[in-house]
Amino acid sequence: MRLFFTLVGLPLMLLADLEVSGHLDLDSQIYLSVPKSKHNNSFTLKQTLELNYTKDDLTVFSKLYAQEDYYDTLSQEEHNERTFIRADELYLKYDFADDSIKLGKSVEFWGALEFRNIVNAFNPEDFRVDMFNTSKLGVWNLAYSYFTQSGELSLIVKLNEPDQKMPTSPYVYYFLPEGIAYEESLESSQGTQRPSIYLKYSGTTESEYPLDYAFIYENGYDSQRYFTTNATAISAPTEFRQKAYLVNKFMTYNTLVVDATLIKLEAMYVKVDGQEKVGDYSHIAFGLEHTLENFDNGAALGLIAEYYRYDTYEDDKYTDLELFETMQNDIFIGARYTFNNSEDSSVVGGVVADTEYGEQTYYLQYESRFMEAFKVAFDYYYVQPSTSTLTAYSLLETHQRVGLNIAWHF
Amino acid sequence: MKILTLLLFAMSSLFSLSNYEAAQKSEAVMSGFEDAVSKMQMTLINARGQQKSRTMKMQVLEGEDEDKSLMEFLTPADVKGTKFLSYEHIDKDDDQWMYLPALKRVKRISSKNKSGAFMGSEFSYEDLSAFNVKKYTYADKLEEVTVDGVAMYKGESKPVSKYSGYTKLITWMNAENFLIFKVEYYDRKKKLLKTAYFEEYKNYGDVNRIGKITMKNIQNDKTTILVWSDEKIKTGLKAKDFHKRYLKR
Repeated sequence: MRLFFTLVGLPLMLLADLEVSGHLDLDSQIYLSVPKSKHNNSFTLKQTLELNYTKDDLTVFSKLYAQEDYYDTLSQEEHNERTFIRADELYLKYDFADDSIKLGKSVEFWGALEFRNIVNAFNPEDFRVDMFNTSKLGVWNLAYSYFTQSGELSLIVKLNEPDQKMPTSPYVYYFLPEGIAYEESLESSQGTQRPSIYLKYSGTTESEYPLDYAFIYENGYDSQRYFTTNATAISAPTEFRQKAYLVNKFMTYNTLVVDATLIKLEAMYVKVDGQEKVGDYSHIAFGLEHTLENFDNGAALGLIAEYYRYDTYEDDKYTDLELFETMQNDIFIGARYTFNNSEDSSVVGGVVADTEYGEQTYYLQYESRFMEAFKVAFDYYYVQPSTSTLTAYSLLETHQRVGLNIAWHF
Repeated sequence: MKILTLLLFAMSSLFSLSNYEAAQKSEAVMSGFEDAVSKMQMTLINARGQQKSRTMKMQVLEGEDEDKSLMEFLTPADVKGTKFLSYEHIDKDDDQWMYLPALKRVKRISSKNKSGAFMGSEFSYEDLSAFNVKKYTYADKLEEVTVDGVAMYKGESKPVSKYSGYTKLITWMNAENFLIFKVEYYDRKKKLLKTAYFEEYKNYGDVNRIGKITMKNIQNDKTTILVWSDEKIKTGLKAKDFHKRYLKR
């Protein structure tokens, strides 16, 4: 009898503290300008499932993501190879009075800016999802954090560098040229199990104009990668593969509050460790976000301006072009209008102007809730790549898309 | 007789409350809860009477002048886990952060515009911050009025902050227990914008907590109702429990 209660009662007790949430999305995209060899549309079913168990100071969290691409279900069409299940997070965290320990697979966010967070590089991106939406791969790590009155000191050890998979060529966001295959297993200087160590200090000042600040030092693999090929002296390349190299990296992200304006800074300086192809570089971004309130029915308008600058410091090594860096000398001007209605509707839009290669990206996104549990989102993107320089966007060619996403949240 | 009338008037003036004193008493009867944990249901009603509901978990730490609060959205499902952390200040802008669980991002928020609407409701951020007499200046006159047979004090106050969305507030409070009954909010054009009704107070000995606020926007005909439930006070929460670390937990 005791065994019966243990077998039945224990799982029930655990389930009582288990929170289940997630969403199921139908994502449709039509590409109005696209190279002839690519599919001119995309239909993807996406599922996110989160399980959160909390008991006193213990948290166990798991997040699964799955997607199915319409073209992968057809036998007569060339597949996009975008159908998969991914365990993004699975970690255990224990909170003590002044510190905490976390172990497992997780996704961390670092950054302050709105268009792109250049220091948000703890987790690599999954190329199979959507170029314009962030989808990070979880990484195994061990983290210890000590909390001061208004800040935090963390030591994080990343335990591996995951492989980044790619879709295949018919999918519009497969960037490599026709006839070039992508080898997904990551090449690295000292093996992908070589740990990367991060020391992070963050906090908030109690000054008249408060500042949220964070400083991070990393010794380990850089989030920036370059491609190696199988080309020889007598043959052209047929395969590209990513290479990870070791760095000492200093990063910071900050938000200063001055009245109704947020002044933001993200920056990094990277000292590359004995690498013949990639030299030391820096990336800096500065932003302003000002919010105007009291439009009709309490609506608010946020105005955003950001500038990004990327520089390399060693001659005869790869530049931003070889490293496919898109935000190397770019200005972003954008706006966010929140309607303050019961559906939490908002419109976000903006333009990114590349001042060096003359590229432009325009986008507009609208989202709203309906029937309480459903969300609908429309987006429009237009990318005008450089016509004279071989940039990352020039591989995409002139690109124009409209998208519709309908999601059921539970 | 004239002398007696004058004497009575002088005595009543001597013992009558000023508007500021009434506000102090009103603050006092709501103070002393130390900390509170509760569930809050927010019902949004549009001009056509259609209703939308959302629920939140609230934690508040009472300070000398500066309260701390942590709010977590429980429904609708798409905003579940979104958290809002606020440190109130009297002499400067509040510190505010929002946690967006889908991105795992803690985002700093400017609190300068206190008139900003709170999550699609008819409440502004300043409506939801704790009442503190230091946030207002008070007109001298305090009227004694009767509402539905209940004796009330009626007084006018003006926000100190130039970033407030209001030019004045007119407050009705129960003359016996100093609990606020109704507040009228006047916009920057000095027109009546909203009326709030305060009901269902819960009494915990010498401490009172609000149970329900109905905010009616006179200009757009929308209404928002806040109802608190499962409230516990003096649970032992400390300032540490309002550290930014708990946004991500």
